[in-house]
Amino acid sequence: MLPETPTFKLVIVGDSGVGKTTFVKRHLTGEFEKQYIATLGVEVHPLDFDTNYGRICFQAWDTAGQERTGSLRDDYYMNGQCAIIMFDVTSRITYKNVSNWHRDLVRVCENIPIVLCGNKVDIKERKVRPKNIVFHRKKGLEYYEISAKSNYNFEMPFLWMARKLVGNEQLEFVATPALAPAEMEVDHGLMELYSQELNTAAAMPLPEDDDDDL
Amino acid sequence: MADINTVAQQFCKYYYDTFDGGRANLGPLYRPSSMLTFEGAPTMGDAAIVEKLAGLPFQSVIHRIATQDAQPLDNGILINVTGQLLIDGENNPQFFCQTFHLKPDSGSFYVQNDIFRLVYA
Repeated sequence: MLPETPTFKLVIVGDSGVGKTTFVKRHLTGEFEKQYIATLGVEVHPLDFDTNYGRICFQAWDTAGQERTGSLRDDYYMNGQCAIIMFDVTSRITYKNVSNWHRDLVRVCENIPIVLCGNKVDIKERKVRPKNIVFHRKKGLEYYEISAKSNYNFEMPFLWMARKLVGNEQLEFVATPALAPAEMEVDHGLMELYSQELNTAAAMPLPEDDDDDL
Repeated sequence: MADINTVAQQFCKYYYDTFDGGRANLGPLYRPSSMLTFEGAPTMGDAAIVEKLAGLPFQSVIHRIATQDAQPLDNGILINVTGQLLIDGENNPQFFCQTFHLKPDSGSFYVQNDIFRLVYA
C-alpha cells in the first residue's frame, strides 16, 4: 500500500471579491476533485504538489460566500493547519481589513503558518503600494504578491507553507502542477520594480505602531 | 380576512422576488418599530434595515424556497421559511432559515420581526 499523502487543512480568508475562489480554481486537479460540503457551505479543493520529499496535499477551504452575509463561523477555521489571508492591491479597504481577518483567524488557529497575499498585481492601477504593506512584518507572516489570473507566483505561498509544515527549508517543488492557462500577462519589469520596493521597505524600521496595526 | 397560508405565500413570493430583484426596494415592508436580526446582527427601524440589506457585499442573489409554514399570531401571521441561497453566481447553495412576524396595518401587513440565519451543521 502507498503511504498516505500528508494532508493539511488550508483556510483562505479575505474580503469578498479579492480573488480567493479564482486563486484556488487555478489548480486544475484540485478543481477537478473539489467537493462541496453543503452542511458547512464550503467547497474543499485538494491541491497536490510534488516535492523532493514526496507529495503534499493542501485541502483548501473556500466558502460559498458566507463572508458576504456576515462573518465566518468558527467551524470554518477549526483545525486549520495553515492559512492564506488575501487582499486586493487595487482596493485599500481590503488591505485595511487584513487585520480583522488575522484577528479572527488566530483566535481559533493559534501558531499556524500564515501567508499574506496581495492579489491582482497584474492591474496597473495599483492602490496599495509595496512600501505600505507592513502588516506581515508586525505579525510574523510571509508576504507574496500574486496575480491569480496570470498564475504569477501561484506556487510561492504553497512552497513557503509546505516548508513550515514539514519543518524543512530544503523542501522544493519538483514538478509544476497543471494550472489553468493565464488569462492575463504580468509585466515582468514592473514585478521586478515591486519586489525591489518590497526589499527596500523590508530594510526600513517598522513605522510607529498605530491603533489599527497597519 | 384571507386565509393565512395564502397571505404567507403571497408575502414570501413578493419578499424574495423583491430581495433578488433589488433589495433596496424592501423598505415599504418595514416600519420604524420593525426588527431584523441578520446572521446575529440586530437592526431596528425600516430605514436602518434597508441600509443593512442594501449594504450587504454581494451583487446578485437568488433565493430558492423549499418550505414555508404559517400560523396565526395575535392578529398577525408568523411565517417560517427554509430554502437555499445562491450568491453572486455561485453554483453551491447555502441553506437558510428565515422567520417573519407580519402585523396587520390598515388592511395590509408589515414585517414587525425578521430573523435570518444561514444553516450549518
